[in-house]
Amino acid sequence: MTLVIGIDVGSGYSKAVVCEDGTVRSHAVMPSGGNYKDTAKAVSEMALQKRNLSQRDIRYTVATGYGAGMVDFADETMTDISCHAAGIHRIFPAVRTLIDVGAQFSRAIRVNDEGKVTLFIMNEKCAGGSGKFLQIIARILKIGIEEISELSRGSTKPVEFTTGCAVFAESEAVSRIAEGALPADILAGIHNAMASKIVTLVTRVGLEEKYAVTGGGAKDAGLVKAIGTELASDVLVADEPQITAAFGAALIASERISR
Amino acid sequence: MAEEKKRRAVATKTAAGIPKFVRGNLSATLRAKEEGKKVAKAFIHDGHDEIMRAMDIVPAWGESFSGVCAAKRDAEKFLQKAESDNFSRSLCTYATCHIGFEMAREEQGGAMPEGAPWGGMGRPDMILGNGQLLCDPRFKWPQALQHYLRDVPVFVTNMYYPPWDPNVDHHEQEKFYVKYCTEELHETVKFCEKVTGKKMDWDRLAAVVDLSDKTWDLFVDTYDLRKAIPTPMDTGDAMNTMVPITFNIGTQEAYDFYVELNNELKEKIAQGIGVADPEKYRLIWAAGLPSWFALNDFQYFNGKGAVFPVEVTYRDHEKIERLDLPKTNDPLERIAWRWVRYWTHWYDAARKIPGSTPKVARIIEYFEDYKCDGVVFHSAFSCRSWHAGIIHQAEVLRKVYKDIPILIMEGDIVDISSYNEADTHNRIDAFIETLEAYRNKQKN
Repeated sequence: MTLVIGIDVGSGYSKAVVCEDGTVRSHAVMPSGGNYKDTAKAVSEMALQKRNLSQRDIRYTVATGYGAGMVDFADETMTDISCHAAGIHRIFPAVRTLIDVGAQFSRAIRVNDEGKVTLFIMNEKCAGGSGKFLQIIARILKIGIEEISELSRGSTKPVEFTTGCAVFAESEAVSRIAEGALPADILAGIHNAMASKIVTLVTRVGLEEKYAVTGGGAKDAGLVKAIGTELASDVLVADEPQITAAFGAALIASERISR
Repeated sequence: MAEEKKRRAVATKTAAGIPKFVRGNLSATLRAKEEGKKVAKAFIHDGHDEIMRAMDIVPAWGESFSGVCAAKRDAEKFLQKAESDNFSRSLCTYATCHIGFEMAREEQGGAMPEGAPWGGMGRPDMILGNGQLLCDPRFKWPQALQHYLRDVPVFVTNMYYPPWDPNVDHHEQEKFYVKYCTEELHETVKFCEKVTGKKMDWDRLAAVVDLSDKTWDLFVDTYDLRKAIPTPMDTGDAMNTMVPITFNIGTQEAYDFYVELNNELKEKIAQGIGVADPEKYRLIWAAGLPSWFALNDFQYFNGKGAVFPVEVTYRDHEKIERLDLPKTNDPLERIAWRWVRYWTHWYDAARKIPGSTPKVARIIEYFEDYKCDGVVFHSAFSCRSWHAGIIHQAEVLRKVYKDIPILIMEGDIVDISSYNEADTHNRIDAFIETLEAYRNKQKN
C-alpha cells in the first residue's frame, strides 16, 4: 500500500486528498480560518482518520495553495496552478481550458494533452469573478453559501446588474431587494455578472474546448450554467470540484515516489 | 514617506554605475540656469536627442524622473496630487507622476517639493513633444503640463512612420514619411533656436549624429554578447544599462559606458560567469515596461535558475548597417531615415508569417538567436501604447511554435497599488514549473 497526500490550503477552504496509486481513498474540506499551519494539520488528519490512517502511513506529502508554505510537514510544495492542471487532466483528459473559481482568485488555465500548463491568467486585484462575490451576496440575502445553487434555480427574471464590481454590486443588490426583487433573481443576476467577468478572463488565454470548472465556485450549478451560456459550450464539473488541486497535488506526490 | 525596500543587486559592475548617470542627468537640469543653458522637458525615443545635445539644451526626462520616484517607492504623493486635479490613475503614470510633481512645485511658487527624489528636476524652459503612432501621452502630456507651466512654450512634432499593413509594401511609402519627419525636425530646430536665441551649428549636429550611430552599433554588439551560455547579463541589469542609450545618446559618456560594459561582458564570458548558477532556463522579456518598484523580481527569477538574455524593452536600436540607410548630407534627414527604418525593419519578416506582426517577428528573431525556452510579457496597465496587443502576440507565438511556455505578468510602471508581491511570485513559481515540465517533455 503506497499512500500519499495532497493538501491545498486555499484562502477560503483547505482541502486534503489521500491517494493510493492515483486513486482517491479519502478527502476532507474545512474552512482555512486564520491559522493555516494548524488548519493544514487538521484537514490532513481529518482525511486520514476517515480511513483509520495516520501521517506515518503517508510516503509523500505535497502542499499547494495560498498557505502551502505553512505546511511544515510537506515534502514539497507546488503551485495550485500546476496542481489544478494535474488534477483535472486525470479526471477529464480532454479538457484544454480550465476555469478555477476560488474564494479569492479566479484563474483561466490552458492545459496541454499531457496535463501541463501552457498559459494562465489570474483575475487582478478584484473580487468580481471570485467566490468572495458569492459570499458577499449570501451575507446580504442572509443565506448560507451552500444554498445559493438550489435557490437560484427558481429564477424566472434574473436581475441585470450594471456593474461587475463586487463592492458596487453589493449596494445594487441591496437596492433591488428593497425594490422587491426575489432572492432567486438576484442570485441568477450575480451568476450572470460573474460569468461575464470570468469568460473575459478565459478569452485572454484563448478559447479552446473542452472546458472544465474547478474550485468552490464549481459547486454552484447556477454559476457553472451561466459560464457555459457565456462560453456557448458545455462545461465539465468533477464530482468534487473543490478538491481538484489537492487531488493534483496527491498525483504529483505519487509521481515523485514512483521515480 | 518613502517605503523602505531592499537594495537590488546588479550582476555587472558597469550597471552599478548607472545611478550616477541618472543623478547626473537630474542635476544637470538643476545646474542649467547657472550655466546659462536652457532646459527642455523631453521624451525618450522622439528623434530630438541630437538636436538638444548639439544646441546645449539640457533634457529633463519626465519618464526618468517618474521612474526614479517609482523605484524609490515614493511616487504616491505626486500621483495623488495629479489625481486631485482629475487625472485618472488609468492614464500613463509616467505622465501623472511628473505632472503631479510640477503641480506641487508651481503651487509652492517654484520651490522644489520637499523630499523630491534625488533633489528633483529643474523647471523646463520649453516642452518638446512628439506624436507617434500609438503613444498619446507624447502630445497629451505637454498639453496637460501647459495648464500649470503657462509661461513655458510647447512644441509638438509628429514623427510618424508607415503603419503596419501586411498587404501594403511600406518601402513604397518610406520616402514620404522620411520627408515629413525631416521637415518636422527642421521645425524643431527653428523652435529651439527661437527659445535659446542661438543658431544651430550644423557641423556639430552632424558629429553628434555620427557619434549616435557609433553608439547604436556598439550597443547592439555589446548586447549580442548576452547570447553566450550562461548569459553574463540579463534583463534585470538591462533595465539599468539602457540609461545611457536612452537618455544620453549623442554623448561621449554614453559611448564610453558601452565600451566598459562590452569589456566586462567579454571578461565574464571568458571566465564562464553567468547571472544564474546553474542557468536552467533562458527567457525573453517580450513586451512591457517593468514595474520600477519591483525590479527585485528579476532576482526572484534568477534565484530559480531563470535568466533573461534578451528583452525587447529599451532595445530600440539596431546595427546601422542592417538598416541600410541612404546617404544624405542633412543630419536631420539621417535621423529621419534611421527613425523610419528602425521601426519598419521587421515588417518584411512579419509578412512571411501569416497573421504575424512586426512585434512578433522581432520576438521570434530574438527567441531563436538567444536560444530561449520561454516568453514573459509584462502588462503595465497604465501604458496602453506599449502593452496593447500582448494577448494577440502570445496567440501568434502559440500558433508558430504550437506549444510554448508563456507568462503574462501584470502591474504598472509607477503605481505600486497595482502590485502584489505574493501573487507575482506565485505566478513566477507556476511558470517555472511549466518550464520544467516542458524540459522533461523534451528529454523524453
